[in-house]
Amino acid sequence: MRYAPDEHQARDPLSGASGSATLRVHPSSATANHLMPDDLWYKDAVLYELHVKAYADKNGDGIGDFDGLIDKLDHLVELGVTCLWLLPMYPSPFRDDGYDISNYCDVHPNYGTLDDFRRFLAAAHDRGLRVIIELVVNHTSDQHPWFQEARQSRDNPRRDWYVWSDTDDRYEGARIIFLDTEMSNWAWDPVSKSYYWHRFFSHQPDLNYDNPAVREEMWNVMRFWLDMGVDGFRVDAAPYLIEREGTSCENLPETHDVLRFLRRRLDESYAGRMLLAEANMWPQDVRPYFGEGDEFHMAFHFPIMPRMFMALRLEDRKPLIEIFDRTPSIPASCQWATFLRNHDELTLEMVTDVERDYMVEEYARDPVARINLGIRRRLAPLLDGDRRRIELLNGLLMSLPGSPVLYYGDEIGMGDNVFLGDRNGVRTPMQWTGGWNAGFSTADPERLYQPLILNPIYGYQAVNVESQRRSEHSLLQWMRRLIRVRRSHPVFGRGTIEFLHPANHRVLAYTRTHESESVLVVNNLSSSAQAVEIDLRPLEGAIPVEMFGGSPFPRIGKLPYMLTLAPYAFYWFRLRWL
Amino acid sequence: MAAHSVLTDELVKQLIAVGQVDVLVALPTFHNASSAAGAARAAVLGLARHFPRARSALLHVDGGSSDGTPDIVLRASGPDLDREIRAQTLRTIQRISAPYDGLPTKATALRAVFASADLLQARAIAVLDPTVTSVTPEWIAALIGPVLRDRRDFVAPVHQRHPLDAPLASQLVRPLVRAVYARRIEEPVAGEFGCSGAFVTRCLADAIWDREMAPLGVDASLSLAALAGPFDVCQASLGPRVTAPDAPRPALADVFRQVVGSIFACMEAQQSAWITRDGAQEVPLAGEAPASLADTTPLEAAPLVEGYRSGLRDLGDLLAPILEGGTLAALREAAASDPLAFRVEDSIWVATVYEFAAAYHRQVIHRDHLVQALVPLYLGRAASFLLECVGKDLAEIASRADALALEFETMKPHLLRHWEPNHGGES
Amino acid sequence: MTETISMALRDAWGNFLMGVEQLLPQILAAISIVVVGWVVAALLGIVVRYVLGWVKFNAFAERAGASDLLKKAELPAANAVAGRLVFWLVWIGFLISGAQTLGFSGMSELMTGFAGFLPRLGAALLILVVGFVAANFAWRATLLAAVNAQVRSARIVSGAVRFLVLVLAIAMALDQIAVARSVVVTAFAITFGAVMLGLAIALGIGGGPVAARVLDQLMQQAPRQDSDPAPHL
Repeated sequence: MRYAPDEHQARDPLSGASGSATLRVHPSSATANHLMPDDLWYKDAVLYELHVKAYADKNGDGIGDFDGLIDKLDHLVELGVTCLWLLPMYPSPFRDDGYDISNYCDVHPNYGTLDDFRRFLAAAHDRGLRVIIELVVNHTSDQHPWFQEARQSRDNPRRDWYVWSDTDDRYEGARIIFLDTEMSNWAWDPVSKSYYWHRFFSHQPDLNYDNPAVREEMWNVMRFWLDMGVDGFRVDAAPYLIEREGTSCENLPETHDVLRFLRRRLDESYAGRMLLAEANMWPQDVRPYFGEGDEFHMAFHFPIMPRMFMALRLEDRKPLIEIFDRTPSIPASCQWATFLRNHDELTLEMVTDVERDYMVEEYARDPVARINLGIRRRLAPLLDGDRRRIELLNGLLMSLPGSPVLYYGDEIGMGDNVFLGDRNGVRTPMQWTGGWNAGFSTADPERLYQPLILNPIYGYQAVNVESQRRSEHSLLQWMRRLIRVRRSHPVFGRGTIEFLHPANHRVLAYTRTHESESVLVVNNLSSSAQAVEIDLRPLEGAIPVEMFGGSPFPRIGKLPYMLTLAPYAFYWFRLRWL
Repeated sequence: MAAHSVLTDELVKQLIAVGQVDVLVALPTFHNASSAAGAARAAVLGLARHFPRARSALLHVDGGSSDGTPDIVLRASGPDLDREIRAQTLRTIQRISAPYDGLPTKATALRAVFASADLLQARAIAVLDPTVTSVTPEWIAALIGPVLRDRRDFVAPVHQRHPLDAPLASQLVRPLVRAVYARRIEEPVAGEFGCSGAFVTRCLADAIWDREMAPLGVDASLSLAALAGPFDVCQASLGPRVTAPDAPRPALADVFRQVVGSIFACMEAQQSAWITRDGAQEVPLAGEAPASLADTTPLEAAPLVEGYRSGLRDLGDLLAPILEGGTLAALREAAASDPLAFRVEDSIWVATVYEFAAAYHRQVIHRDHLVQALVPLYLGRAASFLLECVGKDLAEIASRADALALEFETMKPHLLRHWEPNHGGES
Repeated sequence: MTETISMALRDAWGNFLMGVEQLLPQILAAISIVVVGWVVAALLGIVVRYVLGWVKFNAFAERAGASDLLKKAELPAANAVAGRLVFWLVWIGFLISGAQTLGFSGMSELMTGFAGFLPRLGAALLILVVGFVAANFAWRATLLAAVNAQVRSARIVSGAVRFLVLVLAIAMALDQIAVARSVVVTAFAITFGAVMLGLAIALGIGGGPVAARVLDQLMQQAPRQDSDPAPHL
């Protein structure tokens, strides 16, 4: 199939045409090769993360499914996102929210069949939406047939697919990640009377990537989905593939070998598909996963996220400037993925102790909202439902480097329920309407996989897609405009960034430049109106044109450029030399 | 309304860029190249260490130094330091450095500081003395902490001293202020202090700035404004105070004109506030009381006695309209006594000070002259105290100072009697 | 003879009576002018006093430092002084006009001369008052400064200053009323010169080492030990 470069229609922000309405797709077979106008599509992408189970339920069993999702694709097209990221939809005993996979080449019957998935994929592609899925490479469920076979006997042919040991004292340099639940990285298998290696839960045995057969098999899994038309994978727990004695068993060169192997195979036959790494580490530690452009296409930039929240509460640009100072450059074909919120807690691993204390006190005064080293809340409740702050953070997300990832429900400002245990509070059913089960399902409310949000502020009767679609000033409509402007200008996805340093530290200002296009972004991080004088002499002569309304501003001269900003306001200016 | 602006355009421009702050540390300088760097550095480190979450700024105002003070301050507190404190602080520590308008006096500088603090709506302000070289980051915590934490309005420092040091403080300033204002404050005249935004706003509207030009005078005026007004005052222990060797050292008579003149002027201006007070309340101390310094080189008594005798003789009739006949006679008697047994008794000294204060109020002679006339008498009292303390240990000396303070308190009716002679001795 | 005498007497009395007849109205007029003048002057004085009281003239005088001066000179408050001044000026004006109505040429001249002399007399008095106050002030300032600088002959120095200022004031006052102008100027010059010479000689002989030390300190910027206040505060 072929994607029409919809950017051509949407590139002019002054055309007034809705970006999503002008999307034009040439329908074709979903199994056809991707004839990309641009293999670097992920650099301009706006990603949207969702749970199939939480999105829409067509068959009325209380759990979302692919058929339901197909019906809601138009909402996503209207919103303007370009790529869907599905959380795990594989068959699973669900002891780790689907990250414990018992069959890599099927979908969970709760969500439908493989055919349903194919139809969904085709429907998405028809609408110009790409789809990436989870690939849990590091481990399987202990229910996976591979593991069941491997544990049968010590000489089983699949035995070597996992990491076994007679003692539990090998690889002692490896830390235990889930300290709350696990005592050791080794678990005793009573069937084969030996220990198996697991970096996460004990029901998730790690695959043995020293075994070429495992690599080959994993490639086969990837090929299975790629052949179906999937546009990429979000690769879970990438740093832990290989174990070596005397090391931390993380980020080993051998692990990178495995990743390069998979990437090489991908590039050989499936150009234009994308690998996205999940590695919750400092950016300089993530950097090797891009390799020389021969490992991952994308990787999450974790530390930006808490710092956006911090900068907002501190009313000071310092945290953001600092983290960009610490972010290394990456190969030209690579891209960071950035996000405000996701299906996990707002993780505070990548902050200093002083910063963590501050964040927890400011954003999670109620201890119930805290989990692990983070805060289990959605975007809107974190910001007290303040529309201006929600807009500012989304504005930052969309204008800073990287491809933004939205979390389902945040486009309408959905709430959460911290009392649902673990991180289920941010995984409640999507709120479509103010009617029965929020339009999510026709099942009895009791049958829903999880209760809906019901409180008067964030409950589905107050916050839902239907009512926001009808209101011109709703958050949803605003998000649509924001995404449209972002997508109209490749400078946001591809441009370089240069921070400006006006004396007013409450103002974060930067220019993004790509080829001949320059954009000036000025954000007021504070709750009060601010005046700022910015030294724009290098841009002398340019006329800033505000990108949402198209108003021209006074030409930039030799004197400091004076701007005033309302509380939490931000400007995006396209700089025109006319 | 006066159209005169306290803030220079340059200062206003920088203040606008900084915006609202929680904590402001001010360093008013004028020709302090040799000593200001330490205070500036300690200020930034103190903000980073002790107030990492606060919106904070270092405000450096300069009176137009020609010795490169602004550059030195900038270097000491600038970008190099930022790298050091990066992990400790969440926010940018803002730096404001600008000249202030007008004569380079401490009053003008502090007025600009206060106006800046008011504009920035600072919740807590600490003012440092650029001539002090012993400033540590902990001073910032001690001066700012009580304001933010306990909502104090004024934090007076308590320095580590030897009880024989600074007889002007121990024999006159401290006990006089304690008795008149009924508050036991250790250092009513200190170059560094902390205060709240409310205090700043009140002081800006006050007449202090027109009244006071002298550096020590402003220090005293601000402390007394805090004691007289509806302010919550506390003290903070800072440690030893060491000044730079090249710090300006005015002659004793000038110190008197600044300090004692200021205190008398404040008493005059604030009489409605103190005249009904009696006793002396404890002023709470944040942190532990500092131990006395063990060693000191006290003043020599003999020249002081000589100064007293010749002064008393030479001033002659000039003292007559100021002092009661009995007091003057007692002073003369003391002058005539044997040098070894030389004493100016507590009661005589207290009566002298009170009669001077009242004479100042009644404008018996030119007020400036009046204050100067007290100098030789003070020399006598200082000598008497030093002679009395020879061979005594720290505790005994401290209790002597306490006894004097109590004498000031019990004799307060004497002050009131002379203050308004027509009203008799009402108290 | 008798005839002649009686005629002469009659003529004389006639003339006298005629003169009296002519003069009486003038005298009465003069008296009335003086009396009315007194009343007018008194009223004006009171008015001035009260008006100045209303406009807070005393506060102004205080700020200008005049009150201090008046107090030192043991004069009443500023508005009272102004009132009395107005009274006297107005009344003297009336007195002169009254005298003129009498038509005595000498009297009139005398009065005019006196009136012309009055302002200078006032100025001289003012100079004296100011001089007295200034002399006292300078004496006290010098005395205190000298005592606090522990100068041994503080009283002599301050006394000399007071004497000098007083001499200067008296000389200026005398000059103002133009009494023996040349004598005054010469006397002043001699006195002043003598004092200065005396001082110069005294300093030159007795103060040489002191001056040397002072200069030494100034040149070397040596730290002062004796007046170091740090131990005091």
